[in-house]
Amino acid sequence: MSADEEKAKKQREAGEREAARLWRAWRTVHEMVQDRGYELTDEEVKISFDNFKYNYASDGEEDIIDRKKMKFSARPSDAMMVRYSNPPTAADPNPASPDIGTIWVEFLPDSSVGIKQMRAFAQYLTSHNFHTGILVTNVNITPAALKIIPAVASETRIECFVEQDLLVNITHHELVPQHVLLSKEERTALLQRYRLKDTQLPRIQLGDPVARYFGLRRGQVVKIIRKSETAGRYASYRLCV
Amino acid sequence: MATAKQPKSILKKASYPATTSSKEDRDREVALYHANLIQQRKDIELNIFFSTETLIDYPLAKSPYDASNPSPTDAKEFKQFLRPFQPTDYDELIHERNTNEKCGYTLCPNARVKDGSGGKYRILGTNGKAKDFRVVEKEELEKWCSEACAKRALYVRVQLSESPAWERDAAGSTVNIDLLDEPKSAEGAIAEGLEKLNLEGGKAVKQQDAADLALERGDTGLAAKNGLVDVNIQEKEVQRPAQAPSLDDLSGRVDTMHLTLEGHTPEFGSRRQRRHTEDLENEEDPDTDWRM
Repeated sequence: MSADEEKAKKQREAGEREAARLWRAWRTVHEMVQDRGYELTDEEVKISFDNFKYNYASDGEEDIIDRKKMKFSARPSDAMMVRYSNPPTAADPNPASPDIGTIWVEFLPDSSVGIKQMRAFAQYLTSHNFHTGILVTNVNITPAALKIIPAVASETRIECFVEQDLLVNITHHELVPQHVLLSKEERTALLQRYRLKDTQLPRIQLGDPVARYFGLRRGQVVKIIRKSETAGRYASYRLCV
Repeated sequence: MATAKQPKSILKKASYPATTSSKEDRDREVALYHANLIQQRKDIELNIFFSTETLIDYPLAKSPYDASNPSPTDAKEFKQFLRPFQPTDYDELIHERNTNEKCGYTLCPNARVKDGSGGKYRILGTNGKAKDFRVVEKEELEKWCSEACAKRALYVRVQLSESPAWERDAAGSTVNIDLLDEPKSAEGAIAEGLEKLNLEGGKAVKQQDAADLALERGDTGLAAKNGLVDVNIQEKEVQRPAQAPSLDDLSGRVDTMHLTLEGHTPEFGSRRQRRHTEDLENEEDPDTDWRM
């Protein structure tokens, strides 16, 4: 085999590996968006490797995936709207509409992500009226760029993930119990049932990997269902802080 | 003992200011006070972030200006923006500029150098003296366009205050930053001079004067401006007419005045001897001082 052929083969293999990585991240992001309750078809979520390569290969070379093409949006399902809705109370008979909306997911090809890229992403989200945006990057985002997120929090919600963290879907691991987000009504019912203040619940951090996966917000309560040897199933509740 | 006396407390008597407000009011005041502090801090942090964002695109002026001779307006704004920065914020700015492929020094229009070859470290100063020899991380070298710019940038960095802007006192927040290479073109100097002339009667100067005056009077920074404790400085009223010091009442001490240290005149010999004799007298009836 000549040196050129060998080099080409190596390049192809590297491209293949990169494509496999991206495919796994792509599937995890789709599962994440679906698990949160957005509308996605099963074909979209369970895309095969060949289909993925066919759809997202860059125009010139077939081996290389073009990250610029990897973007999609999803609308919240009716069930999700119900889960996020504010129940009417005596003081407030006409509560505000649920704080949820279309989500936009984008993979960023840049080899470094600074304020410029984040600002562009935030502007894209606000101009297209996306409620939430998920930015998947190849590299770590600079600390200064992360300060944009609270600055634009009133207009749009930005979440950032690194490709490497999305290679595996952590919620499918056998040691990660099932997490279910409670609606506000269920939350008040729970607190009344056990006569608790919400601060008396056990807590889960906002930056917890599972909390990030489900996009939890401060004050929300998740029900965690574990297998128990003695009781079969054991449910506990955690407040997101 | 029958005459058991209540021991006198050596602690200071607590003298709370007479408060007519109820507990809730006071609690609310305390909560508001701390909330305000946090809000101030957040405002400053946001301000620093916006400054960083603006400074990424500097310098605004094109050639003939460069890093060794920045445009006066750019230099002035750079200094202005940099006031609330801490060294860590400045590092972030350098990092941000580098991600945009610019030299880390804000007033330099060049791109940063990219060393294509691999390896994590670089060896410097191999043909100089032994003390110049250094092993440096490649990343550190790639931050700048040249060594001169690295020097300029770090010259600014060491002038920044380590304490965060919301904890600085008034003196810290008005600190002036010098550049290693101040703008020096004749044209620029004239322009700057003109600007100064315009400002002479302007608002900015008045504000600066007011700030300086406040500083002189002892007003401190943001944090202490609305503190929990009211500090009122009361002038002591002078009752009698001032008298010029005269030599008359000094006449008794004139010969020892050269020994006086801050009003105290040390004495040698006489007093010590007196004490010594006292001690001798006391020794005649020893160990009686335990008696009440």
